[in-house]
Amino acid sequence: MKQINREERLREKVKSRYKEEVRQEIKSLRERPDYFPELDYFLDLLSEGPESSIISARVGRPVAALLCLQAPLELFHACGVHPFKIFGGSQAASRLSAPSLPALMCPMLRSALGMLQLDSALDGDGGGFAAWVLPTTCDWVVKFMEMMANCGQENQRPVHRLELPHLKDRDESQERWLEEIYGLRKFLGDLTGRKKPDRKTLARSMAIYQKAWHVFTELTDLKRTGRLAALWYVVISNSFFFDDVQKWISALESVVPKLKGRPQGPGREVYLAGSPIFFPNLKMMHLLENAGLKVVMDDLCSSERLFPGAVYFDDPSDHGLMKALAQRYHQGCLCPTFADNDRRINNIIAPSHKSSFKGVVFQVLKGCHPFDLESLTLERRLKDEGLKFIKLETDYTSEDSQNLLTRLEAYRGALEV
Amino acid sequence: MKYRIGLDLGSTAIKVVLVKGQAIEWSRKVPTAPGQEHLAMGLVKDALDQFGLSDRDIDKVSATGYGKKLVSSAGHTVDEISANAQGMFALSEGRCRTIINIGGQDLKVINLADNGKISDFRMNDKCAAGTGRFFEQVARILDTPLESFGEMSLKADDALELNSTCVVFAESEIVSLLAKGVKKENIIKGLHYSIARRITHLLGRQTTDGDIYLDGGPSQNPGLLDALEDELLMEVKVLPQPQFTVAFGAAIS
Repeated sequence: MKQINREERLREKVKSRYKEEVRQEIKSLRERPDYFPELDYFLDLLSEGPESSIISARVGRPVAALLCLQAPLELFHACGVHPFKIFGGSQAASRLSAPSLPALMCPMLRSALGMLQLDSALDGDGGGFAAWVLPTTCDWVVKFMEMMANCGQENQRPVHRLELPHLKDRDESQERWLEEIYGLRKFLGDLTGRKKPDRKTLARSMAIYQKAWHVFTELTDLKRTGRLAALWYVVISNSFFFDDVQKWISALESVVPKLKGRPQGPGREVYLAGSPIFFPNLKMMHLLENAGLKVVMDDLCSSERLFPGAVYFDDPSDHGLMKALAQRYHQGCLCPTFADNDRRINNIIAPSHKSSFKGVVFQVLKGCHPFDLESLTLERRLKDEGLKFIKLETDYTSEDSQNLLTRLEAYRGALEV
Repeated sequence: MKYRIGLDLGSTAIKVVLVKGQAIEWSRKVPTAPGQEHLAMGLVKDALDQFGLSDRDIDKVSATGYGKKLVSSAGHTVDEISANAQGMFALSEGRCRTIINIGGQDLKVINLADNGKISDFRMNDKCAAGTGRFFEQVARILDTPLESFGEMSLKADDALELNSTCVVFAESEIVSLLAKGVKKENIIKGLHYSIARRITHLLGRQTTDGDIYLDGGPSQNPGLLDALEDELLMEVKVLPQPQFTVAFGAAIS
């Protein structure tokens, strides 16, 4: 009994600290000179938090918790399910999960597991999430449900794993992945008890996400031309899964025109690569700004890689649509867990010839091994191309902020050589 | 010609230089303590008094280091990596191409281009292993003045392999070695080699064309210099006032 009381007290304490983290970050965002009221929609979504019952009530359809970005979002939509990408950006939440996890663990997933422990709707029968969809990306994600159980969250809801082929460019891999996507459709159909979505329903969902991608691309262009601070871009991207996609599109459509006439922001242009960045841990974004650096492009799965790109299809049959989705979400993905991932490097090198950035800031969250491994190849290849490269290894604590700022300031100086 | 003042507010020491042209006319340091601005400006006053100067004779006051923003009278601030690069390039008369800097809480390797600008650099993250703070901790555990580390390690008859460069774990390892009767000289030499290996690791694949210079407080330790040259398999140079390179760089920036 005593033990339960202690756990409850710890949970309350962490919840209060998490709320304070959120409050402070939202306050600092609203106090920025480039804030305008249309951004409130996104700030409010993030303020209200990722609790499953809140998301579920907001979107009015079953919510499937999702890890990573390889499962086609259009398929969830067509099946009447809302996908919610699990993430963690709270240092406070990590305190709940840390005792049950390896010490050298990915801080993002440690925080995500802590956030799930804070989610009171998950107690008992699985609460607000109707199901779990997990592509087998990195080791941490593969072991996620096991770690969740170790953290005291015994999931009672169905879990569907997508076995991700780690070689993108082989025909066999693409065939296997297409089978996985068919399996996902069946799983989502069984979940809602609806019959398989017909071709028109799927095409309609694809058109909605195409529109989301299109508006998001406009936003990306505004960031690339310096009219939108990268910090806001991260905030908007982070909020994507918190609401119905069409409402999110509408809110974004009201933001884009406000930015079009804006002057370019200050700072030396850089490309940001590496581990994802999630609210409320926007430490790296603040430090980059403080060092006089302006992120004009990125390849983070939490921001520019939110959408894998437009899904095109020549074959409008049901199979044709499924194949187009499978290909786009597999081949278009630049996750470092893939063995053949040269496209990621080329995605930095190619725009560097046209864009104003001359350097790449590579952020690695401690314990995020795939990004850490890939950074070595990336550094060599980018330096060969004459690009300046800096790798910053960090976590969610603030104690290394001064050290990081010093490096970023010197890096800005090095970009001027 | 007017004078310039460079302030380096580091984590373990505050260093101040008075510069005329490209020469350090006066330098002094005090341990870092609360009231950094007061401490720094106290040193500035000492410099002005000694040279019979007033504020009107000072062209510019520049600050660098972790505490650079704490000095309200500094009209200019510069990050310590850039200050180090500028200072070392000027003091080495353009010969330096790689700087190894051992600061109070950090370790840096800075590569310079032919024009003295930074071409690349690396810095330790949160871990204090191999930094000035690490040396201070080991001096405390060994109950031996830090100043004698260099001389003692040169008297060692064995290069002991220290397994840990972590401040916390090194303490237990060193205590255990002392209990086994291992000579302090050999422990210190082992410590120098472990730090030298850490620096070599930090250097990684960075190019080392041209002269390498070591600066920061621990660079005055000949035992560390020996170990570093042995691990890098290259000559490492040290300037006469290696603790003031960064403050000088701030002054001329």
